[in-house]
Amino acid sequence: MAKLFVLAEHRQGQLRDITFEMLTKGREIAEKTGTELTAVILGSNVKEHAKALAEYAQAVILVEDPRLENFNSEAYKKVLQALIAAHKPLLIMMGHTSYGVELAPRLAAALSIPLATDLIDLAFEADQLTATRQMYGGKVNVKTVVRKAETYIATIRTATFTPQKPSPPANGQILETPSPLTEDIAEKRFLQYVLPPPGGVDITAAEKLVGVGRGIKDQANMPLMEELAKTLGAVLACSRPIVDKGWLPTDRQVGSSGKTVKPKLYLALGISGAFQHVLGMKSSDLIIAVNKDPKAPIFSFADYAVVEDLFKIVLPLKNKVNEAKAQKT
Amino acid sequence: MDIIVCVKHVPDTAEAELKIDASGKAVDKAGLVYDINEWDDYALEEAVRIKEKQGGTVTAITIGSEDSDSTLRKCLARGADKAIRLTDPKFAGSDSYATAKILHSVIKTMHYDLILAGLQAGDDGATAVGPILAEMLGIPHATMVKKLELATGTAKVNRELEGGLEEQIEVKLPALLAVSTGINEPRYVSIMGIRKAMQKEIKIMTLADTGLTEAEVGEQGSWTRIEKLYVPPAEKQAEPVTGTPDEIAAKIVDLLRSRGLI
Amino acid sequence: MEFKLTPEQEEIKRAVREFAEKEFTPELALEYDQKEEFPAALYKKAAQLGFTSMRIPEQFDGQGLGVLEDCIVVEEMCRVDPGIGVAISLGNLMIPDVLLHHGNEEQKCKYIPPLARGDKIAAAAFTEPEHGSDITRMDSTAVKCGSEWVINGAKEFITNATTADTFILLCQSDPNAQPSHRGQTLFLAEKGMTGLEATKLHGKMGIKPCVTGSLSMCDLKVPDANLVGEVGKGFYYTLELFDGTRITVAAQAVGIAQGAFEKALNYAKTRKQFGQPIINFQGVSFKLAEMLMKIESARLMTYKAAWLYDKVKPNPVATSMAKAYASRVAMEVTDDAIQIFGGYGYLADYHVERFHRCAKITEIYEGTSEIQKLTISNYLAKQQ
Repeated sequence: MAKLFVLAEHRQGQLRDITFEMLTKGREIAEKTGTELTAVILGSNVKEHAKALAEYAQAVILVEDPRLENFNSEAYKKVLQALIAAHKPLLIMMGHTSYGVELAPRLAAALSIPLATDLIDLAFEADQLTATRQMYGGKVNVKTVVRKAETYIATIRTATFTPQKPSPPANGQILETPSPLTEDIAEKRFLQYVLPPPGGVDITAAEKLVGVGRGIKDQANMPLMEELAKTLGAVLACSRPIVDKGWLPTDRQVGSSGKTVKPKLYLALGISGAFQHVLGMKSSDLIIAVNKDPKAPIFSFADYAVVEDLFKIVLPLKNKVNEAKAQKT
Repeated sequence: MDIIVCVKHVPDTAEAELKIDASGKAVDKAGLVYDINEWDDYALEEAVRIKEKQGGTVTAITIGSEDSDSTLRKCLARGADKAIRLTDPKFAGSDSYATAKILHSVIKTMHYDLILAGLQAGDDGATAVGPILAEMLGIPHATMVKKLELATGTAKVNRELEGGLEEQIEVKLPALLAVSTGINEPRYVSIMGIRKAMQKEIKIMTLADTGLTEAEVGEQGSWTRIEKLYVPPAEKQAEPVTGTPDEIAAKIVDLLRSRGLI
Repeated sequence: MEFKLTPEQEEIKRAVREFAEKEFTPELALEYDQKEEFPAALYKKAAQLGFTSMRIPEQFDGQGLGVLEDCIVVEEMCRVDPGIGVAISLGNLMIPDVLLHHGNEEQKCKYIPPLARGDKIAAAAFTEPEHGSDITRMDSTAVKCGSEWVINGAKEFITNATTADTFILLCQSDPNAQPSHRGQTLFLAEKGMTGLEATKLHGKMGIKPCVTGSLSMCDLKVPDANLVGEVGKGFYYTLELFDGTRITVAAQAVGIAQGAFEKALNYAKTRKQFGQPIINFQGVSFKLAEMLMKIESARLMTYKAAWLYDKVKPNPVATSMAKAYASRVAMEVTDDAIQIFGGYGYLADYHVERFHRCAKITEIYEGTSEIQKLTISNYLAKQQ
């Protein structure tokens, strides 16, 4: 039986959510294509992970090697080359993450295997892989057809598929496979993990967040945003461009390269709603978005939409909140 | 240090309303303003800063129509020494793979110590050209680069992982690095830069100059082919809050109060 | 004949547009309009990119370009915000121009480079409380006293009066000269000199980030070395100066009109009344068509005057026509823009009222529109 590979992603002793998201989607594809859902895990001392994966997959390929302790795209590439040669899987799924982005295109090029990236959907239709992704910062979806091949590689967008444990558990067989690595990777070495210096504010702990984005235009407007947040008893958070410009420290960033938050209120001001940001806040209890572009993607995730220039809203809102607070006391 | 920077001329769509064109396979580009791809802007700045510190040259390379010259001119005005534009109607429809092949055909003939690229392009955002190109050239690479320190023969880079974590890795040079936004603060174009750039030439190359065949580029030479574009369905329907700014503010306050948030 | 900018000019336009759009944010524009304060940090930034020294030769740290390139910069900056745009474009006004033509090498080397680099700010003082359009006689006097000149008098409506480091003063050095303008001389002065006092003027209608003030000279002593050119030639130098700088005022007007026009056009496309965008109504769309025609003609006249200055020779009539026409267009177009915005246009937050307030100055300074018409009609009278 041909295999469908899902590359397990793990870091610092933790299997990452994307792994189970892919295994869930992978199961659906495997059933339709008659392939064996196979989790592939590379690492050092990761047998526990392999057991966890076995609950989701029909088979688990486990390759252990001290050289695989930390992610290294070159080491992963070499191991996967050997596994692909041995198993000729129909499809290899990886996360469109800092690891998948580093590895997938390189592996695809090395083996001349067609690649489709950052997918929000994929399916085999009449023997051909069709892949759906987004363009223009999430404003447009695009369905693509992948060139016919024996094997495909796809990177899957995080938080797109909801993980579901099969019931009963798959109880896949764990296949311990010797590492094909014979020497250290000299051209690319992992040195260490670096945590940005703590800034003293933990936005993941805040009950209410005011998220600001590109739409606030000018650093001079930051104090006004701070004031509104303060009035609301909220903490100020932001999308990536604000951190890139240095207007707020890194620990205020919400999104895939920042924090994932789940406050009771997320008030999004001037945030267009690029996927990377939405990923970090879409599970908030109440999302109110203010943006002057009626087609801003943020409105597809918000509970309430205010299509208006945020600068017209901020002051009246601050005043009304103050009034409301005064009435209460 | 000789640095090659891969750039792309893309429409700025951050605040634009997009319409899908009659073919259903592309967006209507009428009225869109084009500029250097945001990520490439940071890559170019990083290259120029390295050159200013250590000497050497910076060459900007792009694939695109004649209109891309304005992006190349901008690169030249900001400190690039040379520019190459690869233009051929046969390149149309190239995906990341075909794009990497075209770039590879030219870059393999050049001398370089470092190749910089933006992590992704603001239009198709496939995030794949860099590592494919690096594999073709047989050099190491790193993506999502947030910080870069050069030493003799090696580069120490910080890669952005998820959740605010970074990893520091070391790659041997020559290498290809795909940079994230925020790695530096790109400079403006100065008048002095424009005057210098006017004396620099943009080298134009076509398919014939690449040594590739027609079948290796464009849609034929690609892994993926666009079937159709469509507007993403809304995940949920947000309830509109309308009125004058005061009315909107009052409605928001009511909402918050009803949920005990004030 | 070619009606297009050169590739280099196109690049300049794009560069200054990007700078202005990113830096002169609407919020900053409103803030400076309220504060009446010179945007010193922005001025420095613009200067470092070369935007304030277009016409200054490279040997004096300038860009070595012409009036047309300068006009492109001024127009683009005023398009984004006339207040900040004018303030920045006038940061080193006129002193480099005068010195390049009439200063000695020592004066050029000492005064021009810091002004070109944006390290220093200039103020050119011609207007007096009693002499605006008519500068054929100055009440400020300069009396030679050994190797020094002693200056007494007052100047009014002086741009950068309180922020400038370097001053140029038009004085009556010979009160008995006939006609009186043959007795005028230009002198350089520096901030901090005893006897030179500046007072800021408040409550201007527009261009508020451009600081204006009055100067008083009370036994201000300047050395012989600060005399510009020849004694008795100050009036002529001044008139000649306006041939170039007036074109950039026309460019300010074109930029102001263009900025207001774009805002109005955008508003007309998005504002809905009676169930449709108001641009569908000819009352609005024809107004926009007329605005565009006026702007385009004003721009062509401005560019032509600049082109003549750069490529043929300064043409005072072309300059005056461009300035008088473009400044009127700026008034009319900004007025129409407010009308298209309706009630919103009357509010500061919608910006067009500021453009209208800023437009007015272009009909006044560097020769009122009436003075421009005088130049044109004098020329006509002399024609056979």
